[in-house]
Amino acid sequence: MSSEPIERRVSYIGDRLRGSKCEICGKEYFRPRDYCGTCGRKSFGKMQDIDFFYEKGELEVCTLVKEPTNKFTKLEAYVYGIVSFHNGKVRVPGRLTDSFLKEKEVETSQFEDREVVPRFRRRYAVEQSDIIPTIALTFTLADEYYPYQEHRIVKAKKEHEKPGIVGYGVYTPKFRTREGTIERSVPFFDEDSITAAVEAGKMALIHSGIDPTLMAKIYVGSESNPYAVKPIASKVAQVLKLGEEDKAEGVQTVDAVDTEFACKAATSMFKDAAALVYYPSVREHYTMVVGTDNSQAAPRNEMGGELDFFVGYGASAFIFGMHDVIAEMEEWCSCTSDTPDFWRRDQECYPRHGGRFTGEPAYFKHVSKAAEKLMGKMRLQPKDVNYFVSHQPNVTFPIKVATQLGFKEEQFMPGLQVAKFGNTYSGSSPIGLAAVLDIAKPNDRIFIVSYGSGAGSDAYSLLVTSQILDKRSRQKFTLRYQAENKNVEYVDYETYRRLKLGM
Amino acid sequence: MTQSCPAIIGVGRTKFGEHYEREPEKLIEEAWLKASVSAGIERKNLDAGYFADYFLQITNKIGIEEGFLSELTELHIPMEKTRSFSSALLNACNAIQAGKYDLVLVGGVEKMTDRWDKIRDDLMLLEDPWSYYAGCTPEANHELMLREYVKQHGISGSQHETFNIALAQIAVKNHKNALQNEYAQYQREISLENVFRERQRAHKPLGLYDFAPVSDGATALILASPEMAKKHADKTVCVAGSASATDYVSYPAREERTEFIASAIAMKNALKMANIKVGDIQIAELYDQSTFLEMISLEDLGFSKRGMAWRDIAESFKEFQGFYRINGKELFVNTDGGLKANGNPLGATGGAQIYEIVKQLKGEAGNRQVKTYADLQNGLVLELEGFGTKAYAHILRRGDQK
Repeated sequence: MSSEPIERRVSYIGDRLRGSKCEICGKEYFRPRDYCGTCGRKSFGKMQDIDFFYEKGELEVCTLVKEPTNKFTKLEAYVYGIVSFHNGKVRVPGRLTDSFLKEKEVETSQFEDREVVPRFRRRYAVEQSDIIPTIALTFTLADEYYPYQEHRIVKAKKEHEKPGIVGYGVYTPKFRTREGTIERSVPFFDEDSITAAVEAGKMALIHSGIDPTLMAKIYVGSESNPYAVKPIASKVAQVLKLGEEDKAEGVQTVDAVDTEFACKAATSMFKDAAALVYYPSVREHYTMVVGTDNSQAAPRNEMGGELDFFVGYGASAFIFGMHDVIAEMEEWCSCTSDTPDFWRRDQECYPRHGGRFTGEPAYFKHVSKAAEKLMGKMRLQPKDVNYFVSHQPNVTFPIKVATQLGFKEEQFMPGLQVAKFGNTYSGSSPIGLAAVLDIAKPNDRIFIVSYGSGAGSDAYSLLVTSQILDKRSRQKFTLRYQAENKNVEYVDYETYRRLKLGM
Repeated sequence: MTQSCPAIIGVGRTKFGEHYEREPEKLIEEAWLKASVSAGIERKNLDAGYFADYFLQITNKIGIEEGFLSELTELHIPMEKTRSFSSALLNACNAIQAGKYDLVLVGGVEKMTDRWDKIRDDLMLLEDPWSYYAGCTPEANHELMLREYVKQHGISGSQHETFNIALAQIAVKNHKNALQNEYAQYQREISLENVFRERQRAHKPLGLYDFAPVSDGATALILASPEMAKKHADKTVCVAGSASATDYVSYPAREERTEFIASAIAMKNALKMANIKVGDIQIAELYDQSTFLEMISLEDLGFSKRGMAWRDIAESFKEFQGFYRINGKELFVNTDGGLKANGNPLGATGGAQIYEIVKQLKGEAGNRQVKTYADLQNGLVLELEGFGTKAYAHILRRGDQK
């Protein structure tokens, strides 16, 4: 059983790699400390925090661990070594993640002297009933799937009249499974909906360039929270250091909440996030909405197993604000009905699926209604919209609904990402939106209509601004980059099921 | 000088290995009784006890060890618990030198096999939690240090081959030495091929035969003030030098990663206290948790120059006569089989190392006796806690006959 007080004690390496630097002599230390060993008493109060969250290090020496200690056996085999930062001023122990080395003969010297990026992952396996320990001492090679990207805080230039998206990020992992023309993203053993939420949030912070301490609230929508009771959002806020940090007390001055409404858990909060930054005292601040899921599905031969053909893994994060907006929120419309087409009772592992309702009246009715009502409200025709994105549980539904609504391929195909990453549940339509934002031009109008079982849809109209071009170069890790990356690794069905279960 | 040092007047130990059927108290009882008999002392004359176990609290769920020992000895004397045998000895020496006690029981015990399924997690978590959380194993730091060493000293090509062979020869030598040690965990010879095959199987520079095993066992000794020693023993061995040093718990965070600075500091202070030079030491028990550590210890302690120990070892093995020849001097190392073959029950390990040096200095090592009694003067024991986090150096000197 893991103990929570101990989890608090190690939280600075469990969440985010931090250390200290002496202002007098410049010596750096792994782990925060109050004085410098070289400078002694005079350095009290002169120790600066250093943080490696957005940095890159170098793997100096390493070895292959093929017989891990008990808690790490689910990782099978991995490279473990010493990572240095700041040209060798500080060193930390580290594990390389995201590779299968069990059956392989590996010459470990090939990993040495290469750049690595710190990652946020589960630490090791614990009992199902325990707190999930996390770790910042995991790394991936910077020249592989996940790139090193500079995090630069940019002062806001312009205040907009309407709130909107000021930055976004998507995270899908390096692993995929492929069946026919469908590729789906698969988590590594040490990933889950929490780690994906952090990665997407990090990408959004890099893209937006906002000061994370200005974050007023974070909403994390998911239907695969590993906890029945305990928020994800608190972890994400702490790891991403959102809001002002009160170091002495170890709290972030930010509101954080989890939301759940099947696959629209995140999109539902877009309007709330936008509304909040419109509030007079919050206008200088920002809000973040994350949709994250390690989408659940029973094995194929079991009840609910039909979902197993489409489930993916990934997260999206959108930052809302009044400043340097890249897409203004023009209007929105939501509709809801109690239609039980998909559910998971407490303590059940996998969701069930009411096949009778799924397409009609559930998905099609809600998506069409929300889209039609929004177009009616704004007096718009499909031709007035440049891009149409809808929830993507599979390939046929979004195409069918878009066509029925009168949209053409060039309007809906750019946002259709399900064949690349699978159905990422709460991240599904937001990932489609991100794919469109990756390519949109100023003055483009984007319609996004989510769908969440149970059931409801949120429709939004977004108007792209010229700022989108200014920020685009900050983000290398685009949807296309992730979909067409040469370092993507494909796994077979059996491995995919094992990876989905995780540690 | 010698006369004022605390003296070891008796030693005792159990066989190392798996003692499934015996409780930790039973093991310490055997070692303690043997030490008492060899010292010829009465239980009631003991002034204090210092006992070591590294993690009996975890492995055997024994909380207040002193209570078990009080029950065992039926004594109510002061007892303190430390983590390693050398630490217990160092504390006992300090107390005797301070004039507080005259006769002290020093003991150590460990029972690791009772926790065979979780032992590697325990060892690693206690060694360094941060490395453990990052995925380190008890073996991995040895491999990283070896890698650092090879890179720093630019060992490549045929040199690298010589280096690998030299390390393997350490394991072979220690197993051979253990053949003459009735208490050793492994009394069987291994070949260079065995060592290489295991390395190959693991695809690593160090394999199964490069690492010390998991062991159960207990050791004990009786330490006496110089005055008390005169009354009890004809031949005594005195603790001429006793020192320890500490270092960061996280090996990767240390500035020096191809040496243990704690070992070097402890050695320097022990030599100073004993008023001898490193060249005066003829026999040493080094902490060969891995073959690499036996090698690196030769450098840390000042026997070999930095970057040269593997060459000294390789040269010595060209015509091996039981000792390393370093800078023209003979040095016997791990004549009892070392941690590798004698065994490594952590809290008791240092006691076995001291046992060996005491036996050798007194000329009582039987078939293992490396030299005649008259030719041996100074012996050294290096014991570590964690991966170089603590180091203890004890210099033992043959006492003059009464």
